[in-house]
Amino acid sequence: MESDMDLVESLIRKAGRRIEPPAAASRQVYAAASAALREKLSRRRGRIQLAWAAAAAVLALAVTLVLRWASPGVQQGELARVARAHGNVELAMGDAWRPLAAAQTRLAAGSRIRTLENGRAALELAGGESLRLAAGTEVMLDAPGRVYVRRGRIYVDSGERPGASRIEIVTPAGTARDLGTQFELQVAGAALRLRVREGRVAIDRGGRSITGSAGEQISIDGLDGEERGAIAPDAPEWQWAEAIAPTPDMDGRPVAALISWVARETGRRLRYESPVVEQRASTVILHGDIRNLPPLAALEAMLATTDLVYVLDGDTMEIHVRSVAPAGP
Amino acid sequence: MADLVHVDRAVARRILGGDEEAFRELFDRFFPRLYRFALARTDGDRELAQDIVQQTFCNAIDRLDSYRGEAALYTWFCQICRNALTDHFRRDGRVPGRVVLLEDLPNARAVLESLAAPAADQPDVGAWREQLHRIVEATLDALPGRYGEALEWKYIDGLSVREIGERLKLSEKAAESLLSRARESFRDAISGMI
Repeated sequence: MESDMDLVESLIRKAGRRIEPPAAASRQVYAAASAALREKLSRRRGRIQLAWAAAAAVLALAVTLVLRWASPGVQQGELARVARAHGNVELAMGDAWRPLAAAQTRLAAGSRIRTLENGRAALELAGGESLRLAAGTEVMLDAPGRVYVRRGRIYVDSGERPGASRIEIVTPAGTARDLGTQFELQVAGAALRLRVREGRVAIDRGGRSITGSAGEQISIDGLDGEERGAIAPDAPEWQWAEAIAPTPDMDGRPVAALISWVARETGRRLRYESPVVEQRASTVILHGDIRNLPPLAALEAMLATTDLVYVLDGDTMEIHVRSVAPAGP
Repeated sequence: MADLVHVDRAVARRILGGDEEAFRELFDRFFPRLYRFALARTDGDRELAQDIVQQTFCNAIDRLDSYRGEAALYTWFCQICRNALTDHFRRDGRVPGRVVLLEDLPNARAVLESLAAPAADQPDVGAWREQLHRIVEATLDALPGRYGEALEWKYIDGLSVREIGERLKLSEKAAESLLSRARESFRDAISGMI
């Protein structure tokens, strides 16, 4: 028998070097673990702040209630409000999940929201961005302009103001920063899929930077393999996000505002038949409620009360004056 | 062991206090070991092993404030990794190709009772080498601190004690002492299996 000292040396030499994990795997897991840690720390901070805030909240409750319910937008200190929800949607502050009681729920830092199999939700973030959750998605509001997506599929519309928004979407598979845009991000473990409808999105994946532009779809698998494809802004893949789009209050506003909103939500270019028709759209004032109607259905319903009609031609939405049928004999 | 657990508890506290450097150090120390741990239990499926380790880190971070130092932190991570593997195979509805590993058994004499390897032309030499590799790898991974690396540097890379000391930022004397403790730990760990 070999001596103990020789046994150690002999075994290690015969076994050979231990397997080293691939560097890409290390980078990706570290990015995911770091994001999970940030989420954890943010939740802990939220719980501590919650305890301190409780006493102050009692004093301020009456005033706050009056102010909050008087105006629908996101209030100071809140990161988002639930603009629309459909199916099973749950909220958690701390560890306990509970069903979303009603739309208009206001969300503070550390709030988590998830959609179950048949659920969808749309949030209005404090910066004015629209964040939509497909079924089977879980997100946490981390800080102003920063959302953590644990899993599932989200859609972001940061508005038409170029460069106005710098929302950061942190996921276990990488961090996406929008550069004024509409995009969709799907996360499943270490895999990521980005679809850019408008503008550009930059993804930081463990030190590796990937940029997607309008019309691009980028899939990155768990081993860092990248595949690029094309996706049209009016492709059917966007329809889930259109269906949960929060409808703006159009009562008392010109029909042109509704037309612009529908064109953006459906990813179509807008064209008026003539400057006269465009002028007409900006002077006709809408009255009524289009809440919870999909964009095209809302447009259909509202234009029925005017002399304007829309025609879809490929990726373009054209606005015409309704032609009057010739009188019969 | 008590010292190790004390240190591990402090590491957990630093991480929960937002110390990014502490987290990076823990990740660098645990990731390769957990990856090998998972790889051996997923029939060499690298992508699955990576997913399992990612899940392990996320779950461990989520529960880190419940770590009370009942075991070494790495042992605690390994248990979470085992649970992640069990959950995965249950969800997947399939039985893993290799559920029980030799190093998981209380007695691994079959591998180590004789260091006389089969002759190279015998059919079971590949399996023998693989088993030996796994059991030594698992033993090195289970050693505390940087003992595993120090032993590899010494016996595989052939580094001198002084060179090992330079890598570990230790004096030659301290490096010699660390190597001695590493050998002792390795012997203890492996003799516990045979």
